[in-house]
Amino acid sequence: MIGCYDFCGHYEWTFEWLREMGGDDLVKQYWDEAIHQDSQRHAGEMIVNEGIEGMKKYWAHTLEEEAAGYVCTASDKFYRIDMHACPSKGFLIKNGLQQYRDYCDHCIGWIGPLMKRAGFVIDHQHNHCGQCWWEMRRVEDAAVPATHPADDVRLRADWKIPGATIDSYDHATDVDQKEVIPPGA
Amino acid sequence: MNALPYQDTKPVGAAGFYTAINATFRFIQGRFGGDGLRRYWEDIGTRYYRPVSEQWTAGGLPAVANYWRDFFAAEPGADVSVTEAADHVEVEVRTCPMIAHLREQSREIVPCFCQHCYFVSEAIGRPAGVTVRVEGGAGSCRQRFYLAAVAPEAQTLDAIKEVQS
Repeated sequence: MIGCYDFCGHYEWTFEWLREMGGDDLVKQYWDEAIHQDSQRHAGEMIVNEGIEGMKKYWAHTLEEEAAGYVCTASDKFYRIDMHACPSKGFLIKNGLQQYRDYCDHCIGWIGPLMKRAGFVIDHQHNHCGQCWWEMRRVEDAAVPATHPADDVRLRADWKIPGATIDSYDHATDVDQKEVIPPGA
Repeated sequence: MNALPYQDTKPVGAAGFYTAINATFRFIQGRFGGDGLRRYWEDIGTRYYRPVSEQWTAGGLPAVANYWRDFFAAEPGADVSVTEAADHVEVEVRTCPMIAHLREQSREIVPCFCQHCYFVSEAIGRPAGVTVRVEGGAGSCRQRFYLAAVAPEAQTLDAIKEVQS
């Protein structure tokens, strides 16, 4: 049986298997169709129907279940996650697992299309070391700049790892809307 | 430290991931058909689970038994016993945690879902000279692991039940 204990390992392995079978477009289709529209359809139902309240409910459950290290903040205008210890990327790092070029892309790969459907855009960065931040706000509020809460993961001493790039998204809903910030920038 | 090749900080996995495994099978079957899905299962057994093959090669049937004991101890909701007989290891799955969770969540389950246990385990076991026979499915089954040299007749897929959601 394929189990859930090491799910993130075979999930990441599957990205590269799909890329070998059908290229990057197939991986992108997988995140949208299999994860967003099928596996995580309950997230879609909550967020499309309830907006920010749905995000609070969905991530409160799933981040606790996965034992993440995170802080969530929200107002009636935005929902934000600052992740300082991603459990799935942490599992991959701990076990030395990397087949696909950027595991972290899978999150915006499925959350992006979901937010587009729900009428939201995303500001997001990840540092490839198990840390990231997300801020979702409605399309009509997209001109408002992202917040800088006290728990902003970017304030941590270990946010910028020597030699590591940071992937950045600005009002995005598509994994291909990435800007890569080089080390030291 | 358990016998699993990849270690998490949590003792038990998150059941929410079961829906992604089912969705992955459906996506691959939709794109590549049944043959493509079987290729995926063969490849994940051969490549991703290579460390398990190496354990079984080094430790024989006792290593097979240890692996499945620790595997199911880390799967939420599993009701499984693992026993060692003279010529095989028997894994009796009274409650398959994945099928139980998918049903609880009212998910449409890929009908050939239970075949993955045969194809993945067979791919893991091949380099170690271990082969599996699966009987039942759709929520409970019996899996027997033999050294290939003394295994009974070949697996038939008819012995593995299709899943009705």
